[in-house]
Amino acid sequence: MSWRRSLYHTLLWAVALLWFAPVAWIILSAFKTREDILATPPKLIFTPTLQNFVDLFNRNTSFTTQFLNSIVLSVTSVVIAVAVSFLAAYAFSRFKPRGTNFLMFLLLSVRMLPGPAVILPIFLMYAAFGWKDSHVALVLFYAMFSIPFSVWILKGFLDGVSIRYDETGRVNGGSWAHVIFRVVLPQVKPGLIAAFIFNLIFVWNEFLFNFVIGGVRTQNIPYALAVGTYSDGGLNWTFIAALTTIYLVPPVLAIYAFQKYLLVGMTFGTVRGEV
Amino acid sequence: MAALADTAALPPPRRRADSHRGLVFVLLAPVLAFFVVFNTIPLLWLLGLSFHSFSLTSGQPPEFVGFRNYVQLWMGRNNFWGDLQRTFTFVGVGVTIQTLLGVGLGLLFWGSRTMPGRRLALTLLFAPMVLTPVATGTFFRFIYDPNFGALNQILLGLGLPMVDFLGNPRTAFWAVLAVDCWMWTPFMILMTLAALGSVPRAELEAAEIDRLPFRKRFTLVILHHGKFILMLGILLRTIDSFKTLDLIIPMTKGGPGQQTRLVAVELNKQAFESFNMGFSSAYAVYLLLVSIAMTSIFIFVLNLRRRRG
Repeated sequence: MSWRRSLYHTLLWAVALLWFAPVAWIILSAFKTREDILATPPKLIFTPTLQNFVDLFNRNTSFTTQFLNSIVLSVTSVVIAVAVSFLAAYAFSRFKPRGTNFLMFLLLSVRMLPGPAVILPIFLMYAAFGWKDSHVALVLFYAMFSIPFSVWILKGFLDGVSIRYDETGRVNGGSWAHVIFRVVLPQVKPGLIAAFIFNLIFVWNEFLFNFVIGGVRTQNIPYALAVGTYSDGGLNWTFIAALTTIYLVPPVLAIYAFQKYLLVGMTFGTVRGEV
Repeated sequence: MAALADTAALPPPRRRADSHRGLVFVLLAPVLAFFVVFNTIPLLWLLGLSFHSFSLTSGQPPEFVGFRNYVQLWMGRNNFWGDLQRTFTFVGVGVTIQTLLGVGLGLLFWGSRTMPGRRLALTLLFAPMVLTPVATGTFFRFIYDPNFGALNQILLGLGLPMVDFLGNPRTAFWAVLAVDCWMWTPFMILMTLAALGSVPRAELEAAEIDRLPFRKRFTLVILHHGKFILMLGILLRTIDSFKTLDLIIPMTKGGPGQQTRLVAVELNKQAFESFNMGFSSAYAVYLLLVSIAMTSIFIFVLNLRRRRG
């Protein structure tokens, strides 16, 4: 039976590689010269060059700032979002206050609206208060945008943790803080990681909100990709390919490292073990 | 709504909230504060503005016009109904393809626990999801290019006629939809794997011992346990697909003609290129109503299925 097994594994690898092919094409292009990128027929074999990456640092002086902005905006906002979402999800799961269902639905409504509709009133509000082009204002908005999904995932996971733990903790004289952070929190670690990664990848790749309510100081890389593409008259393919390739590395590492948490996370707490 | 997530074996007792009012308030306060400042107030602002005529470029203060924006949209200004219909086609066809492909491939990958390099293979498979959509759109413009694009070079090699995929009104919509499917089928694979993980192993073994044919095993055992997560995946995809924007802007900007103009693309243009704030607000309110209707239907179906199952 082992040849059937090998055949099956070869088939799976073929599917994965087929799906990855366009991404591989982008990565290959990042190591090509401008002539090689535009060559017909497309070149699979070529002399790789690092010139595109060198150019990225030399020509585009705002590159490092934008990269830092991407990191700071996504990490800070998602940390805030997951922290406050955990507290809210705990309250929803344990105490079921009146209107829980309605509030959970209302939270989701943030994610239902198309981007321009969400950002339109925020844009007017930020313009009126002079909050545009501010890291704090952008972080707070991204945090709000990451809250609904986090609350949903975490409530699912918290519902799966028996309330006996809380009761035992309280009966033995533990404070609420002790019960929430020391007893319950460690048990929903997969949910916390899943909520963190999913939202992190979203904010990392977010373009429209950054474009509309951000400014020179808060530009992230997707902004640079959308705007910088048209430099040099025509489309600057070497720039796009090199920047995309660098920018793809962190999220790909994240999904490699935290793969099992993503899978468990998407069960919304209905599975305890490994998926 | 929260009832969806109540899949735990031991649901907590009800209405403990009254005896812990202070604690509940402290726990909910941060999220509620975020919600009021960044959602409720802006939404009320949006609602108010939708009854005004207000252009940022004119420098005039907002002028109250009652329901004029709503009536104009209802009468089909800027081809609202056409764009909405096109968006529904995009969502309907796209999510169907992604679900079928995703479930199929998910089942294929199910037995791969012992596969060498499984983690790496799945990472490669999931990579399209984490690629920046703006970059994906730009790069597929390159791949679809009629002169030097890789796809047309392949067609040329096969002796087929070359096609200007994004420039031809008959192919543009489907070319964009194909990229959306490529990007998001991995998400449905992920949801399928998660759904399969929620099936108790004992029941699968029982089904195997009973020699149930695969079709029956799928409907009776897998769907029975996994449908909640699968439906959730379809719901999330439907919501996100309805909002598709960053993929289309670099690829076609809604063209050629209006062939790839989805509602989010048109709203973006009205709000942030033409700065018709009043009109855009009414547009956004209509879209909110459509999204709420879609989500409610899904949740209704989900709860119904749960009650029966």
